[in-house]
Amino acid sequence: MHRGHLNRDGQDPASRIGAGAPRVSTGARRRPSRSRAVASIALAACLAVVVSACGSSSTTSAGSGGGTGPVTVLMGTAPDSLDPGLGFTTQSYEATWLTYTGLVTYARASGEAGTKLIAGLAEALPRVSSDGKTYTFVLRRGLLYSNGTPVKASDFTHTIERAIKLGWGEKELLTENIVGAEEFDQGKVSTISGIQTNDATGAITIKLLGPYGPFLNVLAFPAAGLVPSSTPMKSLPNNPPPGVGPYEIASVVSNKSFALDLNPHFSSSTIPGVPAAHVNVNVRIVSNNQSETEQVLENSADVFDYNDTIPPTLLSKVESQASDRYAKESTVSGEYFFLNVKAKPFSSQLVREAVNYAIDRRALQRLDSGMLEPACFFLPTGMPGHPSGPCPYGEPSAGPNLAKAKELVQKSGMAGTPVTVWGGSRAPHKEFVDYYAGVLNEIGLKATEKIVADAQYYSTVGNLANKAQTGWMSFSQDFPNPIDFYQLLDAKSILPTENHNLSQVDDPHIQSELASLGPVPSSQLSSVVGRWQALDEYTAKKAYMAPFGYEEVPKFTSNRIDFGTLIFHPVYGTDWSSLQLK
Amino acid sequence: MRAVLRNRVALAFGALFVAIVFACLLAPVYAKEVAHTGPDQNHITETVTVGGKQVDVVSPSGVPIGPTWKGRFLLGADSNGRDVAVRLLYGGRNSLEIAAIATAITLVLAIALGVLAGYMRGLTDGVLSRLFDLVWAYPAVLLGVALGVALAVGGINLGLFTLHSGSLLLPAFVIGVVVFPYVAKPLRAQALSLREREFVDAARIMGYPPPFAQLRIMVGEILPNLASTILVFAPLIVANAILLEAALSYLGAGVQAPSPSWGTMIADGTRLMPGAIHLVLVPGIMLVVTVLSVNVFADAVRDALDPKASLRGRL
Repeated sequence: MHRGHLNRDGQDPASRIGAGAPRVSTGARRRPSRSRAVASIALAACLAVVVSACGSSSTTSAGSGGGTGPVTVLMGTAPDSLDPGLGFTTQSYEATWLTYTGLVTYARASGEAGTKLIAGLAEALPRVSSDGKTYTFVLRRGLLYSNGTPVKASDFTHTIERAIKLGWGEKELLTENIVGAEEFDQGKVSTISGIQTNDATGAITIKLLGPYGPFLNVLAFPAAGLVPSSTPMKSLPNNPPPGVGPYEIASVVSNKSFALDLNPHFSSSTIPGVPAAHVNVNVRIVSNNQSETEQVLENSADVFDYNDTIPPTLLSKVESQASDRYAKESTVSGEYFFLNVKAKPFSSQLVREAVNYAIDRRALQRLDSGMLEPACFFLPTGMPGHPSGPCPYGEPSAGPNLAKAKELVQKSGMAGTPVTVWGGSRAPHKEFVDYYAGVLNEIGLKATEKIVADAQYYSTVGNLANKAQTGWMSFSQDFPNPIDFYQLLDAKSILPTENHNLSQVDDPHIQSELASLGPVPSSQLSSVVGRWQALDEYTAKKAYMAPFGYEEVPKFTSNRIDFGTLIFHPVYGTDWSSLQLK
Repeated sequence: MRAVLRNRVALAFGALFVAIVFACLLAPVYAKEVAHTGPDQNHITETVTVGGKQVDVVSPSGVPIGPTWKGRFLLGADSNGRDVAVRLLYGGRNSLEIAAIATAITLVLAIALGVLAGYMRGLTDGVLSRLFDLVWAYPAVLLGVALGVALAVGGINLGLFTLHSGSLLLPAFVIGVVVFPYVAKPLRAQALSLREREFVDAARIMGYPPPFAQLRIMVGEILPNLASTILVFAPLIVANAILLEAALSYLGAGVQAPSPSWGTMIADGTRLMPGAIHLVLVPGIMLVVTVLSVNVFADAVRDALDPKASLRGRL
């Protein structure tokens, strides 16, 4: 079982830790003068104010411009790893999907067109057996890695085995589907029996345990992007292996910077549909969103990372001063409050409906600096299966119906039931929960909060021993297939620890639909869109959760960049290979 | 007492502290009669009239309104559209309540263990002194954060009573435990000296009946002679407890949301700096003024009770 990404995991609250907290002096003999005492107390109390006001003032001028750049991309959070066999955060994928192309990849386009799978290192999309369990590819001829080494079919086996051995964060997508991969992971066998390759013909055959609809999407992950068979079975975060793609990763300084240099062995004709990059990219990690925003606004850096948040107090300045190089982009992601149906009061559908009636999604939009599209359905806009019908408990653009909500809570007999609301500590997650707890109190429940550091949040609420009743949850797609979202409502996802189905939904109708829709290949989703829509409308009606919005992210560049040609990819965000200087 | 009354600056600051305490105690009255809202009530999508115009309490981009200098949102709103003045007063109640309870816990632990260690000497002193050293060895804020975070999710079960994670007693307990060695050590030193004095010898010779003879000497002879030291320490502990509570809450290990405290208000406001600077300035100034008033007054008390400055307690 795997999890999509926490949305906008840009800012780490660690900067807060550095704020000047008051210290208790242990000196018992010397008496400081009164003025010193007063000054020290005032200093201690004010330090939080002062330090918090101080952002990083360092600025670095962007590249000198012209030709191949370089351009400077600012990133709020460093990638977890730049080794494709290990990295699985959005920041990691932003770099590695352009440097490690798999047998299939996504079309380089914004919007829905970008969700289309195209042949990558394979000559064409695979031949799939009638039972959906065997995929046969043929590798393109004459491919070279960025270091000039020829690409071989057997490299694919090594790549998959390496991702499993290194512990790629979503390796279950491989071990749960490919024949022999689980045994390989457990060390029972030395190679994956379900993958057969022929270097002479370039043939690659993959056998699955059962049909799995989004399997081609799995092969499009950077972790399945080929690396040479000679690549060691160990993590190489500071010296990532060569790959095939518009860029090669270079000059990695852990947690500070890295570069994406143009791949000398890649041209627009190497893989039809994957154009060569135009400019070299220098990526710098800037953990202060304010500084990051100001640098791009003042053109001393070129690209603001879409995972980061423009501070609300700077947003209007950006919108007014940089309207020609700033835009909001929709993402396929969802924010919702989970409602544990196995615990009071949310075991009552009336209470769950009341919550959906009571939430003012416009208020939550403001808490997210306006970067949220108010919504009521689980499947977001842009995901096949997103319903087009009306919301069952009031339109998100309208105000809440508190009177109805209070009436439902009274009718349920659950009024006054204590509720603990869980939330992450980072803004706006905590603000969401503050608001939500207030709403629950207003409709007749007795809500208190538990705020947990974001880094520990999912493991804490995902531990059934903590009996989480309700709380904030955010999810963004791994791949454009609704089954990715619906794992969060799959009864099989209810686990004692690392539980993903936080609402603990075990609904026979959902289970039966997932069993039937899961094996449908992503390329044939259009044939079952109606069923997905019906399923999502059913979920909304049962009020298993309280969805409140789909996240929007900033596309924001300096005035050196040709904003019009910059692609915002629906799966991997800003496509750096489309960056062009004016 | 006369010395304290002669110190007009100290009296002024003492009065200021009392005024702050009263203002905080009257928070519910202010909330109901003036602001017409509670400390946790959100007004995100509402508007308020300022200068004859309707203004969003929170703008569409998430920036809250600043001070209106009127009853509603006198000191502005926070990002959730909550009235900052109301939260400031309720936050003060929480901060002061925690400081008072933490001071009580600190004094009880410090007096009991400090006097016991100083009077008993030997093994008891050795064990207790090492305990003081152990707690003292950790930086207070770090130890407080570690304890606060560890207890924030599950609370603590002490057998006789349970502290739930959202309880204000929890940060008070953490602060009390973290701070007590700073007071216990000087008290131990004084008790160590007092036990050798003639009046204690006399009490021993007079012979209190066992098994409580030693306890009665500690309570009846040693403790009264520590009163002035304890009085010197008490306001200093209050001031430091307020600061430590603010620090713990700022770091997420103190008062738990949605309850306000000055520390959590500063932490919440940092995100909106510098555009909504009132969110940080208002609780920051309140914190400074409160701690300053306690400390200036404490200085005067110390000067009055300990004119020779034989013991200068400073936490």
